[in-house]
Amino acid sequence: MKAVCWMGKSKIETLDVADPTLLNPHDTIIKVTRTAICGSDLHLFDGFIPTMEAGDILGHEFMGIVEEVGPDVTNLKRGDRVVVPFTIACGSCFFCKKQFWSACDNSNPNAHLMEAAYGYSGSGLFGYSHMMGGYAGGQAQYVRVPFANVGPLKIENDLPDEKVLFLSDIFPTGYMAAENAQIEPGDTVAIWGCGPVGQFAIASAFMLGAARVIAIDRLPERLELARSLGAVTVDYSHEDVSVLTALKDLTGGIGPDSCIDAVGLEAHSTELQGIYDEIKTKLMLETDRPSVLRQAIQAVRKGGTLSIPGVYGGLLDKVPFGAAFGKGITMKMGQTNMHKYMKPLLERIENGQIDPSYIISHRITLEEAPKMYEIWRDKKDRVTKIVIDPWAEKSAA
Amino acid sequence: MLNSFTEKPNAETLPQSGSAGTILNGRYLAPPEDNDHQRWVRTSALIQSSPEDLYRRWRDVESAPHWQEQISKVTRTGDTTSHWVMGATGKTLEWDSEVLADEPGKRIAWRTIGGDSENAGEVIFEAAPGGHGTIVTVLQELKLGKFGNAWETLMDRNPKQSVIENLRHFKALAETGEIPRTEGQPHGPRGAIGQIKKSMYGERVKIPTGNDRRAS
Repeated sequence: MKAVCWMGKSKIETLDVADPTLLNPHDTIIKVTRTAICGSDLHLFDGFIPTMEAGDILGHEFMGIVEEVGPDVTNLKRGDRVVVPFTIACGSCFFCKKQFWSACDNSNPNAHLMEAAYGYSGSGLFGYSHMMGGYAGGQAQYVRVPFANVGPLKIENDLPDEKVLFLSDIFPTGYMAAENAQIEPGDTVAIWGCGPVGQFAIASAFMLGAARVIAIDRLPERLELARSLGAVTVDYSHEDVSVLTALKDLTGGIGPDSCIDAVGLEAHSTELQGIYDEIKTKLMLETDRPSVLRQAIQAVRKGGTLSIPGVYGGLLDKVPFGAAFGKGITMKMGQTNMHKYMKPLLERIENGQIDPSYIISHRITLEEAPKMYEIWRDKKDRVTKIVIDPWAEKSAA
Repeated sequence: MLNSFTEKPNAETLPQSGSAGTILNGRYLAPPEDNDHQRWVRTSALIQSSPEDLYRRWRDVESAPHWQEQISKVTRTGDTTSHWVMGATGKTLEWDSEVLADEPGKRIAWRTIGGDSENAGEVIFEAAPGGHGTIVTVLQELKLGKFGNAWETLMDRNPKQSVIENLRHFKALAETGEIPRTEGQPHGPRGAIGQIKKSMYGERVKIPTGNDRRAS
């Protein structure tokens, strides 16, 4: 089959590889009908996530048709149409039973690697480094899905793939970000990053009762989408704009009730701290560039909540913890507990409350994927979301 | 116990002793120290199953190859004795083992009684506080030397990590009916240092089958 492989930092190739086979009794093989490139795949492309190896198949947002089922999979059969969550969960351990699906104890074969770095291991993820399990990803024509009795969500309507595909990661991730923000009816919510997760966080913040959402980014195409959802936008790249001042101006000086960092470890900053983080990460003295995190801690109101769906990987410098303590804020974060959100969010799509496909800007083939990683990283061509048809010979648009 | 403090609705009785020497007279005790040619491993796992079920799984020594790394065959040789084979044809270590203490649903202790390995250990099954499952604690002592080197060569893991990984496999199998694995999945060319990296990640270790019904 054809698959998108990580071959080194800034080096991605579409290659012919072997087809996946069933390895465990709860496995299924899915014929992938649509897959997408995630903003967090760019962290891999840029070499920020350790334990990626040449030859690893990328991709953790995908859906498709069940091709083959293992002997212990009872809820799926060949021909079923499913969306697959990017976190792999067993459904039986202490954490799955508590709905902390992304903390599953039994899905990471390389748990010892993550234990060394984090104390304990989280769940395995598709196509996201050996520390996270080393599972082959779904930017491919076929993919093996472990614990298929627990993860895949059956789609039993005739909605097109593009409308349900983002249940695999970014819609639930944006929704959990809004839920973690502990929004009360009438609240003002500030969201850094208007990429796909930021977009769904904006929509979800409104769903959960926000009166006003303030969206922060620098790319016009993203800010446009944010305004189309009803958010006030702040373009931080304008020289005369200070995000902290803007957030005070828009909240009568008290700051947003909740802040959401939908950017994570590769934040860009126009301030001096941007240069500081750039140098320290290059010298390997710092692993992440936490300028959004610092700003969000400063910006949130006293007693407010900071929710962090943006990915952080390692050790952060100069995080103003005194400000966090002094204002008595709450911080909530982590990989998405996918299995908790997929079904209720599917219902919202089925009821016509939201059509997640509005963020798609590019539809491509597997062959075009390596080039598109570059284009998206360089923020060219007004990319908002890239969807791949693994069986297409020629791109649709 | 203090009589002036009585409001603790869910508190359990202060344990006087805990499994594998973790608690004595209410105080936490660190695991035993390593000495020359002798290593101690103490590791534990929280498992969503009953102590009785987990005891039965562990006591069924002939099923050990399903979840213990590199154990290729275990044969019962008596009520309390068994013969163990580690590794594949040509490169094997073999020893006999004897159960010293057998408390159904609670504890099993063993030691080797001859062969290529000298080790002893115990496993304790006890209900976790608050009904959160069963805490399984393994305390194992490994006398090393020539055997240790042979072990590392065969296992691609150090013996301490093997004990930890085996308990992890035991837990996964008990909770889900399988052991997570990626060996055999597709990938692109690994390049020159692929094998070294694989070994660093512990991915060269053959993950035990889990059970007989494993997909082929």
